Amino acid sequence: MEEVVEAFIEARELRRRYANWRFIQQLPPKLKAALIYYIETGDIYVASRIAGMSVAEFNELRIKARVPSVT
Amino acid sequence: MSREAIADSSFLIDWSRYSRREVLTRLFNVVHVPESVLREIQLPPAIDWVAEKLAEGSFTLFTETPDIEAKARELMALSRSKPLKAIDYPEAVCLAAGLRFGYVVLSENGGAYFAPRVLGLGVVVWRAFETIVEAWRRGLLQDLVDELRRYEQEAVHLFRRRDWEHVWSLVGMR
Repeated sequence: MEEVVEAFIEARELRRRYANWRFIQQLPPKLKAALIYYIETGDIYVASRIAGMSVAEFNELRIKARVPSVT
Repeated sequence: MSREAIADSSFLIDWSRYSRREVLTRLFNVVHVPESVLREIQLPPAIDWVAEKLAEGSFTLFTETPDIEAKARELMALSRSKPLKAIDYPEAVCLAAGLRFGYVVLSENGGAYFAPRVLGLGVVVWRAFETIVEAWRRGLLQDLVDELRRYEQEAVHLFRRRDWEHVWSLVGMR
């Protein structure tokens, strides 16, 4: 279980570190909230629902925001 | 290892950006794509690639049945009882099908990836990392480090420190 918790923490740190925060801060509130949710959890499905997008559309937004996918 | 897999949208959307993506169809005889996953794949390159593979027959559409849906809901509820990330419906469908039919589950969802350990499920879950490592083991990819770096760049993906430590141990062994 310790390894699992460690993995989640490391993944979140990497997403936070590499994200383009300037880009994220300029987004409309719904998209900004969705990206921040994604950075904190790594959950692309729920993040896409917050953004009102499909997973594929949200993934394009993730890439524009330079948030890495980390599992 | 099963020669059949079932993939969720988090895996397919990332994987479809990888220039060596065709290796997946050499690892598995068939990759099942649930209808709930297909609905999430609406843009190129993922939609074009998945449609091409469905046409070829190397991918096949997986229609959720009531028993798979019930098992998926059960797994979602079970994951919520744990202190880690909950499993969402599309990943839960893949896990339920993996349990029922013995498919390898392909997912980049952390809840799904750790489900075998955290929930004690008898199912194999691979991320892109395990998929690339397996392709390398079988001689389908040449340089493991180069391929993982390529994947990171093309899919805007990062592998964790522990993954890289595993790679160094594998490469050192060769």
